[in-house]
Amino acid sequence: MQLENHANNLQLSGRFDAHEADAFRTSFESIVSAHGGDVHLDLAAVDFIDSTALAEIVRAMKRCREGGHELVIVGVSDPVRVILELTRLDQALTIR
Amino acid sequence: MSTETGLASYRRWAAEPLRTAPRYSIVIPAYNESFRIVPTIGAIAAHVSTLGEPWELIVADDGSTDDTVALVEDLGLANCRVLVADQNGGKGSAVRRGVFASRGEIVLFADADQSTPIEHFADLLGKIEAGHDVVVGSRAADGAAVANKSKVRDLFSWGLKTLQRGAFRIPVSDTQCGFKMFTADAADLLFRRQVIDEFSFDLEILWLAHRFGLSVAEVPVSWIDAPGSTVDALQVAREFLRDMVRIRANARRGVYDADNHDPKPLSDDPRGQLAA
Repeated sequence: MQLENHANNLQLSGRFDAHEADAFRTSFESIVSAHGGDVHLDLAAVDFIDSTALAEIVRAMKRCREGGHELVIVGVSDPVRVILELTRLDQALTIR
Repeated sequence: MSTETGLASYRRWAAEPLRTAPRYSIVIPAYNESFRIVPTIGAIAAHVSTLGEPWELIVADDGSTDDTVALVEDLGLANCRVLVADQNGGKGSAVRRGVFASRGEIVLFADADQSTPIEHFADLLGKIEAGHDVVVGSRAADGAAVANKSKVRDLFSWGLKTLQRGAFRIPVSDTQCGFKMFTADAADLLFRRQVIDEFSFDLEILWLAHRFGLSVAEVPVSWIDAPGSTVDALQVAREFLRDMVRIRANARRGVYDADNHDPKPLSDDPRGQLAA
């Protein structure tokens, strides 16, 4: 998985699975610590996301909400959208 | 030319039962996969729906004691069937039930953890369309990429591969990758004769293909070791060694000279109906 963060944007590409969960959490926490506010997560270039990674996104969503902010999914590839729909996480997450 | 987007193709596949026979059948054997199977189904459905051919998905449960069956049934996918097993019979038995229930001209079986990405489907399909009967996803062929495989698993694989090459001389560098494609005729021939129900069924199937003179091709794939495997590597290695002896003994006794299974019509399996 490739992971880039700019200001409050976190952009992932490739496969987001359990092997990448720690790197994601580290990047996410550094954004939250440095910027505050909403965090934008771009999954447009992610081709697969497993259950551990989904749990990590839910954790990130809760973390944002605890601080009065939102985790906003700003880009979703077709396979990730289908996975979010099948797990019904599309109803819990903010997707734009 | 169709202007349907990939997502629209998926939504139609998910909502509308096929009116024609599927061209592709994809079989996922599943034993206690409640944690991993839904993302895998999503990835497969999103990808294969874009290929423009009718297809079906078959989840062949292997006597799961967790919520695997209920989870898949609750997805309500119009072209996904769940075959329920009352007890754990082994991966080989689950794949065989899935293959016998399949209606496609081409059958792929793929592991429930998406360790071989479904994007390799077209690579294997190209070989089938070029005239091969069986196409094997390979982690050992030139061009393959393997990620996160443990050293222990690597060592077991190397040892078993070396033994297999010496004992069976199957011209395939990776017999065990859970991503294999068959023409319907080849699948029918091979799985009727199969007797090994555990993890080494792949070796038996490929040895049978070799013995019957089928054309077998190998395609390099990327493979990512998915955490949460329900497989005990040491136990699998022991079974593999035992089954190598069994296959040889079966061949000597003529076990493979006739069918060992009669594909049961789907209507005989009341729970093997559409999940939706």
